[in-house]
Amino acid sequence: MTGETYLTADEVTKKYGDVTAVSEVSLDVPSDAVTGFIGPNGSGKSTLLRVLLGVERPTSGTVSYSGPEAERQLGYLPQRPTFRPGFSVRETAAFYADLVDDDPDRLLERVGLEEVAGRPVSGLSGGMTRLLGIAQALAGDPPIVMLDEPASGLDPAMSRLIFDIIESIADAGRAVVLCSHELPLVEATADRLVVLESGRLVRTGSVESLREQTGGPLHETFTALLDQDRAAIAAPGGEQS
Amino acid sequence: MMNGNRFWTVFVREVRSAVRTRTYLVLGLVTGIVLFGLAYAGGGPAGGYVPTVVDTLVAVEVLVPTLAFAVGYRAIADPAVRGELDILDTYPLSTWSYVGGVYAGRALLLLTIVVVPLLALGVNVATTAGPETTVFASHRGVDSPFLFIRFVALTVLYALTSLTIAFLLSALARSRGRALVLALAGLLVLTVGSDLAVFAALDTGVTTGTLGGALAMTPAGAYRGLVFDQVLYVAVPGRSAFVPTWVAALSLLFWWGLTFVGAMLATDAA
Repeated sequence: MTGETYLTADEVTKKYGDVTAVSEVSLDVPSDAVTGFIGPNGSGKSTLLRVLLGVERPTSGTVSYSGPEAERQLGYLPQRPTFRPGFSVRETAAFYADLVDDDPDRLLERVGLEEVAGRPVSGLSGGMTRLLGIAQALAGDPPIVMLDEPASGLDPAMSRLIFDIIESIADAGRAVVLCSHELPLVEATADRLVVLESGRLVRTGSVESLREQTGGPLHETFTALLDQDRAAIAAPGGEQS
Repeated sequence: MMNGNRFWTVFVREVRSAVRTRTYLVLGLVTGIVLFGLAYAGGGPAGGYVPTVVDTLVAVEVLVPTLAFAVGYRAIADPAVRGELDILDTYPLSTWSYVGGVYAGRALLLLTIVVVPLLALGVNVATTAGPETTVFASHRGVDSPFLFIRFVALTVLYALTSLTIAFLLSALARSRGRALVLALAGLLVLTVGSDLAVFAALDTGVTTGTLGGALAMTPAGAYRGLVFDQVLYVAVPGRSAFVPTWVAALSLLFWWGLTFVGAMLATDAA
């Protein structure tokens, strides 16, 4: 891990009307590492990811890229990737690869889909569709890859496979950011965690440093952190310690 | 990689997708049947090119935007709903390359559906009408294949303008349901509503003297006016256009440009 910062969010807030989805979040995304966003449903993980990606404009605050020069700076796997029907897996990979002069076969090999390259995308299982989404996210070798719930709704074997691929993406020198509810897999894969609740950043640090706070597995740490946060908000003054 | 290459990548995907969608083949066949049916019901092909245009003009005026909306109403809404636009936001693909590529691909499809049956009808006129229709006339008062080619060319312009309007509404829709509602509303306004609005304006400032100009400001009115001026009245000595020709031509170009830029801006914001 070089520890080089590839992306910086500074006091980022995102509001939809009166609803604040992300509130004054500041964080760095380091290279060669997997950064995991965890938090309950509606905590702002996906919104923060989309703001970092640039597909959502922050209401206030800034996001700045400081990674290496690249034709495509960020790769993205949405929560439910769907591809244009009527095309094969290879044709779909080729469409995205052509946009950045990449090799579709290399992308499919990278995620283990070369055997089903001729299959129509509508005939893929949920897990394979997710793998094709990851292949697309890797097109053009972006220095940062962002994955929104990459394993939600998948069987344990497919989830494990996807997290293994995610680990290897970071090992190849990229910065990986993911949000996920699969806490055991996140615990095993992420180098750094960002805990969110109600759009606010509750804690950030390595898995080990967060685990030290409760001495238990990540899900206990996670629950303890959220409880602390809720207690701090409910206390007179309402400010977090 | 050049932006032009990315435009080409998007364009090729649209064309491939169109070729694989059998519904479009059915649309083309139905268009052919409708055009031939109307032309033969009116006896146009036996009379020549201009009678054929007279027989089919009203139908084409409604059919072309209907086909354009069928081809384009989900062009931007669908990828937006699928999340494809969010993914493409992370690629070095400009909005112009994306919207332009999708538009070019669907325009090629639309023009195939519209122009092939029209040209087939023209060939049919050439083989069934009287010998005077084989004259490639350059003067007024004579029916000629040139007039039919002008009709086809004006129909192409009208089709392309209708398609950009469909694209704009698709980009504004952001859901498949809303895309359908907007398309139906847009089609109604384009084919009927705009003319009605002009006639309703007769009470509020538009005079019979400026009616032609006002009609030329709407896409359907501009197309109709141009067909009358450049096709039908050419074969009828002593008749002149009911809309100013240049105003009508510029109006179609204006609507094309305005809605295309609007579609790009709306796609950017989607």
